[in-house]
Amino acid sequence: MRSPRGLGEAVTESVYIDGRGLLDTAIRLGGAVGLAAMRPAAGAVSAGLRLERAARGAAGRRLSDAALTALDAALVSPLAEEAVDRAMASGLARHAIGRAFDGPLVDAIAEDLVRYAVVERVVDRLLADGTIEQTVGRLLDGPELEQVVGTVLESPAVERLVGQAIESRLADQAVARLLDSEELWLLVGEIAESPAVTQAITQQGFGFADEVAGGMRARSRNADAWLERTARRALRRPPR
Amino acid sequence: MNHVAGDARPAAVRVHEAGREPVTELRYEGLVTRGIAFAIDAAVINLVAIVVAGGVALALSVLSVPQDSLDTLLFAAGGALFLAWSVGYFVTFWSTTGQTPGSRLMRVTVRGADDGSVIRPRRAALRFAGLILAAIPLLAGFLPILFDERRRGLHDMLAGTVVVEAGRG
Repeated sequence: MRSPRGLGEAVTESVYIDGRGLLDTAIRLGGAVGLAAMRPAAGAVSAGLRLERAARGAAGRRLSDAALTALDAALVSPLAEEAVDRAMASGLARHAIGRAFDGPLVDAIAEDLVRYAVVERVVDRLLADGTIEQTVGRLLDGPELEQVVGTVLESPAVERLVGQAIESRLADQAVARLLDSEELWLLVGEIAESPAVTQAITQQGFGFADEVAGGMRARSRNADAWLERTARRALRRPPR
Repeated sequence: MNHVAGDARPAAVRVHEAGREPVTELRYEGLVTRGIAFAIDAAVINLVAIVVAGGVALALSVLSVPQDSLDTLLFAAGGALFLAWSVGYFVTFWSTTGQTPGSRLMRVTVRGADDGSVIRPRRAALRFAGLILAAIPLLAGFLPILFDERRRGLHDMLAGTVVVEAGRG
């Protein structure tokens, strides 16, 4: 229900409303016209951007291809080996490796190895396909292990270590405790009564008897020769 | 002997050709070595016989058997057992390994003169009989060992055997 107002107010309000609608219409019209006017320009800008992206992609690919080609050429060139040799011979490589080991990289790698169970997975894989078994068999059968053990045993460092261990007080204490233990003498008794040891002792006894018999054999054969020579001489027979 | 029938080579060469022992390893053993081996065997035989006889005598003394009445019988049985033991001793060792314990100690062995193999029991028994025969004329049957080319005694010639050095082992 309209409030009780005057005619002037109503006319003024009507004029005001009509003016605002006109302004809106004009703005919409202007916007539409502006948009219509801007559309070719926007299309041109968009096309330009696409063209720029395509050009940049093509240029990037060319550049990548060129870089890879250059890298291949560098890798196969003798200069690369020379460069690597020089770099490795220089203090730079040692410095870089030292810094890498000194820094947090090793810790990070170790943490990742543990976190992702890398070692376990590798070992499982190696065990599953029998690689470890083959490698161990190859090591045990091959001469390398023997050579390594021989080298280690003949090294002065090991000799020095063993000497220190023997001369140490710890060794004396260990021997004293071992001699005091009842288990040792039980073990000695078991070994002394074992068939292998008794057989060895018997063999040694036989060896002595054989030695005595050997001497007796040599003398008896000399006596044989002498007796035959004498008998043949007595009967004027030619010697054998 | 048949080992030289139609073949002038000594038995050692034939043994070598049969692949049994190299000819250089074969050496015929002489009287002294064989005598020592026999003495050792005799000691073993007599030791065993004495121990057994002592055991029997102890048993008879415990059993209170009138030994006077059994003396003749016991002597006869003891003699037969001793002979059997002696024969069995030599025949068994000669026909199995070719070596008695005394031969083993002196490292000599009895082999067939024809093929170098271990002799059979019958041949071993014949050799033992020859051994007794050789001993009867004041051991004269052993003198051929001193002169024979292969150091054979009467018993070796009778049984067709030789005594050679045994290989080690």
